Amino acid sequence: MKKYRKILTVLLLVSFLALVTTGCGGDGDSADAVKVGVILPLTGSEAMFGEMEMNSFEMAYEELKAAGKTTVGGKEIKMMYEDDQGKQDVARSATEKLVNQDKVAMLSGGYSSACTNVIAGSAQTLNTPFLIVTGSSDDITRQGWNYVFRGTAAPASKYTGAFWDMMEKVVDPHSVAIIFENTDFGTSSSKGFRTECQKRGINIVFDQAYEHGAIDFKPMLANLRSTNPDMIFATSYVMDASMIVKQMKELDFNTKLFVGNGAGYTMPEFYQNAGAASDYVASTSLWVPNVAWPGAKDYFEKYKQKFGKEPDYHGAQAYATMYVIADALGRATDLTNEGIQKALKQTDIQTIMGPIKFEDWDGFTNQNKPNTYVVQWSKGKLEVIWPEDVKSASYVYPVPKWGER
Amino acid sequence: MEDAWIKFGQTVICGILLGGMYSLIAIGMTLIMGVMKIINLAHGALVMVGMYVTYICSTNYGIDPYIGMFIAMPVLFLLGCLIQKYMINRLVEVDSILPENQVLLTVGIMLVLTEGIRLFFKSDYRSVVTSYSSNTVFLGDMSISVPLVIGFIIAMTFTFFLHMFLTKTDLGKSIRATSQDRDAAVFMGVNSSKITMITFGLGAALAAAGGSLLLPMFYLFPDVGHLFTAKSFIITILGGLGSTWGAAIGGLVIGLSESLGATYISMGYKDVVGLVMFILVLLFLPGGIRSLVKR
Repeated sequence: MKKYRKILTVLLLVSFLALVTTGCGGDGDSADAVKVGVILPLTGSEAMFGEMEMNSFEMAYEELKAAGKTTVGGKEIKMMYEDDQGKQDVARSATEKLVNQDKVAMLSGGYSSACTNVIAGSAQTLNTPFLIVTGSSDDITRQGWNYVFRGTAAPASKYTGAFWDMMEKVVDPHSVAIIFENTDFGTSSSKGFRTECQKRGINIVFDQAYEHGAIDFKPMLANLRSTNPDMIFATSYVMDASMIVKQMKELDFNTKLFVGNGAGYTMPEFYQNAGAASDYVASTSLWVPNVAWPGAKDYFEKYKQKFGKEPDYHGAQAYATMYVIADALGRATDLTNEGIQKALKQTDIQTIMGPIKFEDWDGFTNQNKPNTYVVQWSKGKLEVIWPEDVKSASYVYPVPKWGER
Repeated sequence: MEDAWIKFGQTVICGILLGGMYSLIAIGMTLIMGVMKIINLAHGALVMVGMYVTYICSTNYGIDPYIGMFIAMPVLFLLGCLIQKYMINRLVEVDSILPENQVLLTVGIMLVLTEGIRLFFKSDYRSVVTSYSSNTVFLGDMSISVPLVIGFIIAMTFTFFLHMFLTKTDLGKSIRATSQDRDAAVFMGVNSSKITMITFGLGAALAAAGGSLLLPMFYLFPDVGHLFTAKSFIITILGGLGSTWGAAIGGLVIGLSESLGATYISMGYKDVVGLVMFILVLLFLPGGIRSLVKR
């Protein structure tokens, strides 16, 4: 018995030593790696998006690895994911942890505008390049922060480029109503929309924020109905979006056109939850699977097959961002903060989100000029209706009344 | 003028109907609070788990959410009993842990439940679509959604039966005795550890019922619980800690005031209305609605 115990002890010791040495080996490896820190909401109410973006990052990484593009200057690119829980304080500590402890070469991620703003501010003070994936509030790239880059996301007030074009040529509304979620993203996009309306002399008859996660939107919708607008412009996350259109149907509240501002109104969950009420709802969008950019459709199919779920533009943003990162790190002459920042600034790459270049324009710094679309739901399918040269279906306007469908 | 009255009526009716469901969830919390003297911060997570059970019944087995609720309730009753018996009771037995710190355990339970569900269901938003989900009844020109009405009726029925249970049965009386004075109840021969276990289970089952009633018109994701924890906490304080009727009325008051606030102030300040009431109650009526009745 004693002998066995001795053997066991020796075995344990050996395995312990082995563990320690492999641990060391691991450390040695990562010293030779170029670390990229990615901060996304992996838990909390935005986790669904964080998951989709992380999956897309990983998918792009595997493809790049297969193509041999994940090794730069003999070092392997290593992705390190941190959870911001959708909270600003957590986002800040995650940023500081990645930069100070893990010594990452650059940062990426950023889902909600509020968190992205915090990460961007910290990254700038820490002189670490930060490439934004989704966070789109205007002021993030309006601070003159030269270490902050935004490629795949448009400033919230510019989501509407194609939309205004369509407004001029087709809808020509005289009165609009604005409803938005009272977050950074909602406030920022409705602010941009309001300015555009004033410039064009369109009358804003209703303008109200709401709190995310409400069960009953009817009080707001009833007030909205009494102003009788030509069109409604709404900025919401996914489940609020479906609650709003469902309750409009319940109220038998008809309007000529309901336009969502991206985010919730383009997600598959929107249709799943809202069902028939989603029909004819239009939305601005930064990406659609059937857009003409090379690789877009492939990404969509591959993701769907791999994760059993349809991705939307958030996933595409992360996927394209991974390609931008690999491209910039590959071109960087030296892998210091300045070197990577310089390489990012010189980016000129074609992605599934369209061409990406970081330019200074209109008060923005390192901001890609966005490609925007207008899409419309038709029996559970999202069709591109504007710009006309890339459309997949013709627009329906004015939309039929609830009773006539 | 006509329109203004319709709007007012709609606001009041919807507010009260929604408040009825808040009440049911809050009663679960207040029961636990009364007997155990701790705020159960995992309450929202229990609502969430209950909703998932109903959700599975509905999507996998095609069981209507209102029937699925009767599966979710016993499941959550069992879960509540187990949590109480094997986790919370063990902490209560240790004298050196202050009751305030026992609350921390409920936070831990909340995290485990949330992340456990996330492991199985991912963070996706899910919803149950029924044939009547977006049906409405028209009262004059007011449109009231059918699931809201059904939910309210069931919630009020449960509240009534719970009241009967607490006042008329031996077990119910023991629960009330334990909540009034634990030591005295023990001296009278009440098995207090059994009572706390049943109370926790009952609270969890009511949470599941409230969640299931909301399911046909709402949606669910692993973090949906925070919403309910916050709401039932406010209602529990408003109603007076541990008071069942207080919580029932408190729920209606919160539902109504939120709805009025949303119509006449702005939907952006909907939660502010509830929280302002919360502060006012703490400042001027620390005992809640219960203390009004006692006066």
